[in-house]
Amino acid sequence: MKHVIKFRPVLLATIAGALIATGCIAQEPKKGMSGPPPLAPLGPPPIPADNLLSPAKIELGKYLFFDPRLGGDASTGCSTCHEPDQGWSWAEDISRGYPGTVHWRSNQTIINAAYYSKLFWAGSSKSLESQAKSASKGGVAGNGETDIMEARLSLIPKYVELNKKAFGTEWPLLQDAYRAIASFERTLVQRDTPLDKYLLGDKSALSEEQIRGKKVFEGKGACIQCHNGALASDENYYNIGVPGVKRWEEDGLAQITFRFEIYAKGSTEEMYRTIKDDPGAYFRGKNKWDMGKFRTPSLRYAIYTAPYMHSGQFDTLDDVVDFYNAGGVAADGRTTSFPKTKSPLIKPLGLTDGEKSDLVAFIEAFSGDEIMMEKPELPPYAARFSKAELQAAQEAK
Amino acid sequence: MGVRVTSGRSLLAAMMGVGMALGAQAANVPDLGPLPPIKVNKAKAELGKRLFFDKRLSGDAAIACATCHDPKQGWTQNKPLSDGYPGNGHFRNSPTMVNVAHKKVWNHDGRIGTGLNDMTREMITEDYIMNMDMRIMQERVKQDPVYLKMFKDAGYGEPSNGKVRKAIPEYLKSLTSQNAPFDTGKMSKSAKRGLTLFKGKGGCIQCHNGPLATDEKAHNTGVPENFDVFLDPNNHQAFIAFAMFQGIENFMNIKRDPGYYNVTMDSADVGKFITPSLRELKYTAPYMHNGMLKTLNDVVAFYNMGGGMDSKKSSLLKPLGLSKAEQKDLVAFLLSLSGDQLTSAKYVWQGAYPAEYPVIENWKNVRN
Ligand code: HEC
Ligand code: HEC
Ligand code: HEC
Ligand code: HEC
Repeated sequence: MKHVIKFRPVLLATIAGALIATGCIAQEPKKGMSGPPPLAPLGPPPIPADNLLSPAKIELGKYLFFDPRLGGDASTGCSTCHEPDQGWSWAEDISRGYPGTVHWRSNQTIINAAYYSKLFWAGSSKSLESQAKSASKGGVAGNGETDIMEARLSLIPKYVELNKKAFGTEWPLLQDAYRAIASFERTLVQRDTPLDKYLLGDKSALSEEQIRGKKVFEGKGACIQCHNGALASDENYYNIGVPGVKRWEEDGLAQITFRFEIYAKGSTEEMYRTIKDDPGAYFRGKNKWDMGKFRTPSLRYAIYTAPYMHSGQFDTLDDVVDFYNAGGVAADGRTTSFPKTKSPLIKPLGLTDGEKSDLVAFIEAFSGDEIMMEKPELPPYAARFSKAELQAAQEAK
Repeated sequence: MGVRVTSGRSLLAAMMGVGMALGAQAANVPDLGPLPPIKVNKAKAELGKRLFFDKRLSGDAAIACATCHDPKQGWTQNKPLSDGYPGNGHFRNSPTMVNVAHKKVWNHDGRIGTGLNDMTREMITEDYIMNMDMRIMQERVKQDPVYLKMFKDAGYGEPSNGKVRKAIPEYLKSLTSQNAPFDTGKMSKSAKRGLTLFKGKGGCIQCHNGPLATDEKAHNTGVPENFDVFLDPNNHQAFIAFAMFQGIENFMNIKRDPGYYNVTMDSADVGKFITPSLRELKYTAPYMHNGMLKTLNDVVAFYNMGGGMDSKKSSLLKPLGLSKAEQKDLVAFLLSLSGDQLTSAKYVWQGAYPAEYPVIENWKNVRN
């Protein structure tokens, strides 16, 4: 049974007020002698002590990732939106949604998601395990409910068997299903990109152009301030000036989801009435200074995951670089609706055409071969009882 | 929360023995009779009508209330087990909407006793019924200018999920029996003989009494289980989810519908179901909570044998010894409780729904 939440603006306002005390989500990077951590080859992903990998978990997780029965009407599972053919993401500005809806943010790739300490564009989820739960239950994502999804898993003998091997319980529990999915996701990593090879000593792994682009990235372009370390993400939150979703002005279905998200994530009455853009990290602590801030994404696997940014407003990496070169303004002049929180690190760069194309070439070095995977054949349901057993129960009444 | 029923009634009946079942009892139960009038607010009911037929009230916008409560099928589905939300089946027969506003207890197990507002909420939000996040529903409704006007005209102001849950029950009040021969007095001779049997030798009135022909209490009549609930995993998953959510223990292993036990958690109530109304049966076959009896002839034959097999069956049920002719008369009487089929535009929303949600123009500059 779903929750019915009444709109209580006064109450929410109080909660929002109380949360002001909890401090910043995002911080500008510390300015020190050392500078940002350098780019580095990617190591193995962290594995949480309370969910160690096992072959049974990974096998079960793979099935579940591809199984739409883990969603409200058994049509929309993880892979429905995170299509391996579309960069394990969804190639539209905003993601497709649950049937009858559209999402409100751009999809994110699963590849290398294992490395983030917080998931989603606004970092609202603390682990892959809890992220999978939000994904399968969210009204514009999986729209599934625990009881029905758990019941379905229990009627699929193959899952009962794999679950028993992986977790030891007689019947699958949804929380373990999420742990299995997270385990599978921890295998979806890419560590052999041209950049990894280059940084490990193979100097021929990058082209001349890419090596020049690396200099721009680390120097004049100053991308390294935020896109740094092995993941090319400082996992911090910034408003870099990305404009909101254009479709909100043109598409009734998208307008519905926009209002739903603003309402569901907890807004004051006035905010619900007037806001016209995604406040991003604001929803985590309800701090005004977090308006319009989003997590620095990794640049790994990016050549497969267009369009770009939380609102999917840029179709190509060239568009992204033009946007940065203009100081965080799109070619059509659109920019963030929250100018007050825009990062001072984002300013016009004055890159030449040559520098821009070198930079794009370098970003491409963060991606290796496309990761393809054959979708597993999904195991069928089976009746739990035989006719004879039912007959016997009937006679015993 | 459901209602709780005292078991005094069946206890008393048991003490009084067979004579009770054979009909000297009519005096201590409410008589059958016409339904009291209900006042309906027209504008609110009209809004509720449009909502009842609108598929956008379900999570994936694929089914409406009317999918399972279909006016052309007596506001039910003419099959043993109801459809479920896409991807699911169901484990019970879909009840009619006609006269539902006259009831005080809803669902076959009687788990809702507060009102049609709660019943509507349950239908919209239940995962194997409409699986709708009410917050999304509210924004969908607000996106449709026709609704904006209808909510205003109904005096509700801006659409909200709370008002949807008021408008639909208002509409349900408009679905009541019309021109049933029993009410108009135009009963055939056979039906009149059937009425006498109903109150007398048949003993039906013990449970089926008052204007709706129901005491709205729970009884075990021994209706056999419908094995398709368990043999079809789509139905079984809905059943398991239901039992899990209701806190019924051992939900992976039970092989029968617990019925009223769900409300009391008293093992004496396993297999009891709320006595249904006998109005409009002409259109609502098959019968019983799980559709196990195909025709009214089957139902009467079932009672003639003293009901089904169950160690906890009501002691009010005994073999009746009705002749073939008497059984026919009883069926004729049951049919006289059915009136006109409510399929005209007065009851059924005829308008089309927009294929797409209209866009709100000048979006950036208007209030949400
Ligand atoms: C209806 C489409 C849809 C479905 C179904 C869906 N996702 Fe997502 N996923 C998205 C979108 C859109 C985002 C970004 C949302 C945001 O940040 O608010 C996302 C984000 C994620 C992320 C975060 C990645 C990062 O970089 O932080 C992970 C991991 C993920 N999804 C996994 C899953 C899993 C596992 C499932 C199945 C249980 C699933 N998704 C189902 C659309 C979907
Ligand atoms: C102030 C920190 C910061 C700096 C400096 C910065 N970025 Fe970003 N980058 C971000 C954030 C934050 C996002 C996501 C913003 C959003 O979606 O609103 C992002 C997004 C991107 C994306 C899109 C990735 C995706 O998956 O959608 C690319 C590509 C990118 N940046 C490249 C660059 C390049 C090239 C530079 C240097 C010219 C640069 N960034 C400088 C913080 C920064
Ligand atoms: C997927 C099929 C389905 C849909 C859609 C559906 N119902 Fe139902 N409805 C049922 C079934 C089955 C029951 C009986 C449930 C039980 O006894 O546990 C029921 C019971 C009811 C009852 C109680 C009837 C009684 O006599 O006790 C009411 C009232 C009702 N539904 C109204 C609605 C309304 C209003 C909607 C739309 C908001 C709706 N239903 C949508 C299948 C459905
Ligand atoms: C002990 C109380 C009791 C008595 C006596 C009784 N009934 Fe019922 N009746 C019920 C209950 C309870 C149900 C629902 C059982 C179920 O759904 O499993 C029911 C169901 C029915 C139905 C099916 C209605 C529907 O919509 O599915 C009909 C028809 C019916 N009874 C007719 C009769 C007739 C005719 C008699 C007399 C011969 C009679 N009943 C005697 C309690 C009783």
